[in-house]
Amino acid sequence: MTLRHPFKIFFAVVRALFLRELNTRFSQGRLGLFWTFFQPFFQIALFVALHAVILQGQQISTYDYIVFMASGFIAFNLFRGILSASIGAFDANKGIFIYKQVKPIDTIITRVLLETFISIIIIILFLVIALFTQYPNVFPENFAMVTIGFLWLIIFSMSIGTLVAIGSTFFPSIGKLVGIVSFMLLFASGVFYSLENLPPEIQTPLLYNPVLHFMEMIHGFYIPELSTQYVNYRYMLAWTIIPLFLSLWLYVRLEKRIVSG
Amino acid sequence: MIELKNVTKYFRTNQGKRYILKDVTLSIPDGNIGILGRNGAGKSTLMRMLGRIEFPTHGKISSPHSFSWPLGLGGGFVGSMTGRQNVKFVCNVYGIPYEKRREIVQSVYDFSELGDYFDMPIKTYSSGMKGRLGFGLSLAFDFDYMLIDETLSVGDARFRQKAKNALRKKIETCHVLLVSHDMKTLQELCKTGLLVHDGKLHFFEDINEAINKYRQINQTKGQS
Repeated sequence: MTLRHPFKIFFAVVRALFLRELNTRFSQGRLGLFWTFFQPFFQIALFVALHAVILQGQQISTYDYIVFMASGFIAFNLFRGILSASIGAFDANKGIFIYKQVKPIDTIITRVLLETFISIIIIILFLVIALFTQYPNVFPENFAMVTIGFLWLIIFSMSIGTLVAIGSTFFPSIGKLVGIVSFMLLFASGVFYSLENLPPEIQTPLLYNPVLHFMEMIHGFYIPELSTQYVNYRYMLAWTIIPLFLSLWLYVRLEKRIVSG
Repeated sequence: MIELKNVTKYFRTNQGKRYILKDVTLSIPDGNIGILGRNGAGKSTLMRMLGRIEFPTHGKISSPHSFSWPLGLGGGFVGSMTGRQNVKFVCNVYGIPYEKRREIVQSVYDFSELGDYFDMPIKTYSSGMKGRLGFGLSLAFDFDYMLIDETLSVGDARFRQKAKNALRKKIETCHVLLVSHDMKTLQELCKTGLLVHDGKLHFFEDINEAINKYRQINQTKGQS
């Protein structure tokens, strides 16, 4: 057998894993598939309805609420999707670590790619629907910055996800905890509200939540009427770099133990 | 050539460290090697270390050769995927091009004799069926060394014979490291022997010597 370059092996493995994950995802039955792609539509419909009931037609925001929530939910679902996909990433693939080419980190990278892929399809779905219904203002105000916001969010989610994957391998209860926390974060991350509409005494504690900064960044650059005044890029960077290096450091130390199970 | 340099391997258990290998330095010349040892002596761990999915606690194992994944009963498959999908997956991991992959899928299908089960999820397989699929799959690749852990004992007598014949043909072009409790199989397929015992690794130029030594150990253990 000829020796392959490490990068070649890596790409072959990630490709193989991606096709495999895609296959299991798409063969989980029609209902599962339907839910994967229509979850954000339900979320938005639900929150638009809640919004209408609570405010009873009062207009407190000047911006387009549906576009606001679509961008918020897609971004947040991506974060949450990567996190929950990371929980079982090592355990679910234990059987195939028997092939020495397959490294645990490959399974995380694959799942991040898959979640990103699903998000892209959902974004396209939204845009197609918007074009057909001639819905106004669906395109971002600053396309480049929104893209950067999403890419940054993916790296951030992957760093946290890798920590979660390593942690839950050795302490399975971490997985459950992360599930609960990520659900609670849905309400604390400015997904369906803008921070500027909240009183200062609520703003201050919420600003400790790094996910909120990502949501404010994406919303601020997406919606013309909104700004990024609350976004602290340094804080986001700290929450990206520290988990990234911590997770890689832990991974390098523990890779062999994860492979050997 | 497989070289072990100061290799120590132990597992932590409730009763402290359990040594598989204790500071072993050894050069194993190339050839078909039978591996012997009592249950729990560390034969499978040795195989897993050669397959690079288990790692020495200290020391280094090096070899210029390529090794197959350790072929055991049933490992290496994803339960929710069909036999065919698993075969394709492994081909993809090894970077096999599309045309060649199709040939491999066909050859594994033919060899494993799974019939309709080939397109059913692995979790519906018996362990014998998994062994057949795994064995058929490994035959499709060209490694310098095949790591085989008891898989020759899967299936009925006819299939066992077929597997043995296939392996005999295969080892004309590659070597095999074989774990087996069946001395006849070892004598037939292997020239040299490795005995794993009490944290040590003994190499024998002649498999029969290794078998004799192994029997000796078993007897003394039986008496004490």
